[in-house]
Amino acid sequence: MADDGTSTPLVKRLRDGLRLVSTVTQAFAETTSDYPRLLEVIACDIAEAIPDTCVVNLVSGDTITLVAIHEAVPEGAPRLRYVLDQAYPLRMAGLSAEVLARGPLFMPRIDFDALRARMSPEALDQLRRIDTTGLLVVPLATRGELLGVLWIIRRGNHQPLLDELDLEIVQDLANHAALAILNARLFQRLEHSERLRAAEERAVQASSLLDAIVENIPDMVFVKDAATLSFVRFNRAGEQLLGLSRDQLLGKTDFDLFPASEAAFFTTKDRETLSATRMVDIPEEPIQTPRGTRWLHTKKVPLLDATGRAAYLLGISHDITERKLAIAELSAAKSAAEDANRELESFSYSVAHDLRTPLRAIDGFSQALTEDYGEQLDSEGRRYLSRVRQSAQRMAGLIDDLLTLSRVTRSELRRTRVDLSALAHTVIATLQRLEPERRVEIVIAPGLVVDADPQLTTIALDNLLGNAWKFTSKRSNARIELGQAERNGVPAFFVRDNGAGFDMAYRDKLFGVFQRLHPESEFPGTGIGLATVARITQRHRGRIWAEGRPGAGATFYFTLMEYPCMIA
Amino acid sequence: MHDRVIVLVEDNANDEELTLRAFRKSNILNRVVVVRDGAEALDYFFRRGAYAARPASEVIQVVLLDLKLPKVDGLDVLRSLRADERTRLIPIVILTSSAEDQDLVRGYGLGANSYVRKPVDFNQFVDAVRQLGLYWLVINQAAPV
Repeated sequence: MADDGTSTPLVKRLRDGLRLVSTVTQAFAETTSDYPRLLEVIACDIAEAIPDTCVVNLVSGDTITLVAIHEAVPEGAPRLRYVLDQAYPLRMAGLSAEVLARGPLFMPRIDFDALRARMSPEALDQLRRIDTTGLLVVPLATRGELLGVLWIIRRGNHQPLLDELDLEIVQDLANHAALAILNARLFQRLEHSERLRAAEERAVQASSLLDAIVENIPDMVFVKDAATLSFVRFNRAGEQLLGLSRDQLLGKTDFDLFPASEAAFFTTKDRETLSATRMVDIPEEPIQTPRGTRWLHTKKVPLLDATGRAAYLLGISHDITERKLAIAELSAAKSAAEDANRELESFSYSVAHDLRTPLRAIDGFSQALTEDYGEQLDSEGRRYLSRVRQSAQRMAGLIDDLLTLSRVTRSELRRTRVDLSALAHTVIATLQRLEPERRVEIVIAPGLVVDADPQLTTIALDNLLGNAWKFTSKRSNARIELGQAERNGVPAFFVRDNGAGFDMAYRDKLFGVFQRLHPESEFPGTGIGLATVARITQRHRGRIWAEGRPGAGATFYFTLMEYPCMIA
Repeated sequence: MHDRVIVLVEDNANDEELTLRAFRKSNILNRVVVVRDGAEALDYFFRRGAYAARPASEVIQVVLLDLKLPKVDGLDVLRSLRADERTRLIPIVILTSSAEDQDLVRGYGLGANSYVRKPVDFNQFVDAVRQLGLYWLVINQAAPV
C-alpha cells in the first residue's frame, strides 16, 4: 500500500509499526542460533525503531543482569553508565522487580517523585542525567516464563511523548523478543548437550583405543596402587606370562603371587620408583611362572597425580629369557672356539718342536755319515745321502711355512703406519746379500705408506719380492718393481717382475696352499708363500690378484684396506 | 784349577749326540755335562740327589737349555735358577726347536741371556754352536763366582 499523502499520521504510524514488528521479528528469528548477538539485535532494533534508548535485562534465578543496551541519541547527548553482564540480586532491582511482579509500567511523562520510593537513588539520578522524559518498562515473558525486563527510555524534549501505540508495539516486540530468547536458549542448550555427547563419545573412543593399545602391547604391562602396591591393571601379555587371569591378579600384591624373596625384590624396586618419582630400570630380574623361571627386563614408572605425588606405579616388562639363552649359547660357542684356537696353538707348537727334532736327526746323521764314512761310499751313495739331507731340509721349510701361515691366520691384527718403500729396500737388501752375484734392476716407488700390521706386511713383502727375485733368476736383465697403480678403480700396490711369468688360465691356483705352477727343480719353493700373502691381505680386508704371461713376467696387485676406505 | 763346564739340558738322545758332535767339530774342548730332564737339571745345579757331591771346582761357563723337557719344563728350570742367589748369574742360552713368539718372550722375560733356534740343516747347526761357544766361552766376560 503506497503512501498517498492522504493518510493521517496515526495510520502512517500504525503502518510503520506493523512493518517494524514484522522486520524486527524476522531479524530475531534469523539470529536464534547466536544468543549473544540476538540480545544485541533486540536492543538495537527496538531502540532504532521507536526510536528510544532500549535496555535489555535478563533474569536468572534471583538475579538480574543487564545484557544489552542501545542508545538511539544524537552525538554529544549524555550517555548511560552501566556494566554489561554483571548479575545483581533481583531484590535490589526495584523497578524491574516490580514490573516482573505486576506487569508493564507505562509513564509517558516521567514522574521522579513517584519513582523515588521504587528505585535506587543512583538509578534515578542516571534517568535524570540523560534527560529522561518518558519511561516504558515491559516484562519479557513467554509461555508463562518470565525471562527479563525491557526498558524503553524516551529522552530529550524534542521527542513526542510515548503513547498507547508505542506501548502496544513495544509489548508486541517484547513478546517476540522473549520467544526468540527462549528459542535461542533452547537451541543453545541443545547444542551444548550435543557437544557434550560428542565429547563423551570421543572420550569413550579415546579410552577404548588406549585400552586396546595397552591390551595388545606384547610386553607385560601392569599398574599398581601406590599405597597398597596391589595390582589395579594387567594386560593380556601379563596374564599369559604369569599364567593367571585378570580376576586372579587384580587386587593382589606380589606377596600373594610370587615366592617371598622374589616379591620382596619387586616391592623394593616399587618403593624405590615411587619415592624417587622417576623411572627405575631393572635390566634383569627372574620371575616364577608356570613355564618355569623367566627373565624380565622391567621399567617401573611412577604415575603422578595433579599434586605431583605418585598415585600409581606403571610397570612394563619385556621377556628377555630367549635372548639371555642365546647370549649364553653364544658365549659357550665363543669359549668353545677359543678352546679350539688354544688347541690349534698347542698343535702348532708341537709341530714346530716335535716334527723338526727328527728332521734334525735325519739331516745331522746323514751329514755325520758323509763326513765319517763318506770314503766307504761311492759317488752314487754320497748322492743318495745328499738327497736325504735335501729332503729333510725341504720338509723343515714346509713346516716353517705352514707355521707362518697358521700364525698369520691367528695373530691379532695391529694397524699402524707402515713405510712400504723402506720395507721393500730392506727385503731386497737381504735377498741381495744371500746372492751377491745377482744383478737385478730394482725400482721402488718412494713414499709408499699404508695403515697395516707391520709384521704381516713384512711377511707379505718377503714373499712377493722373494718370488720376484726367484722367478727372475734365469734372466740376464732382471727387473723388479714396487709401485702403486689404480686397477679396476681401486688404488693398489703392485710387485712386478720380468721373470718366468705364468699362464692366466691357472691364476686361480696361484693363491692355493701347496699350489705350484713351476716344477720344483726349476724354481724351488713350498707353494705356501702366496697362500700366506693372500691370507694377509684377507686379514686386512684387502684383496690380491695377479696378471702375467708365460715368459713375460708377472704383476701381483694387492690392497690392505677395504675398498670403500680406499676411495674415501 | 777350575773345571769350566758347559751344561747341556737335553732330553733327546739324537739332539744330544749331534750337539756334542757340533762341539767337537767346533774344537770346543770344555767338558760338557749332560742332564736329561728338568728335575735332574735342578738336582745338578743345586747339588742335590745324585749330584750332592758335585765338586766345588766345577764352574758352569754356560747352560744350553731346551724348553720341552720331561718332569720339569725348561722355563721352570730357568725360573728356579734365576730365583736362587747361587745360580742367578749363570749365563743361560735357550736352545730349542720352537721359534714361537710366546716362548721367546717368556724365555727372555725369565732372564735367559740368549735364545737360539736349532736349525734342521746340520751345517747351520754346527755353525750356530761354534758361534755360541766362541761368544760364551771366549768373548763374554762372565760375572765372578
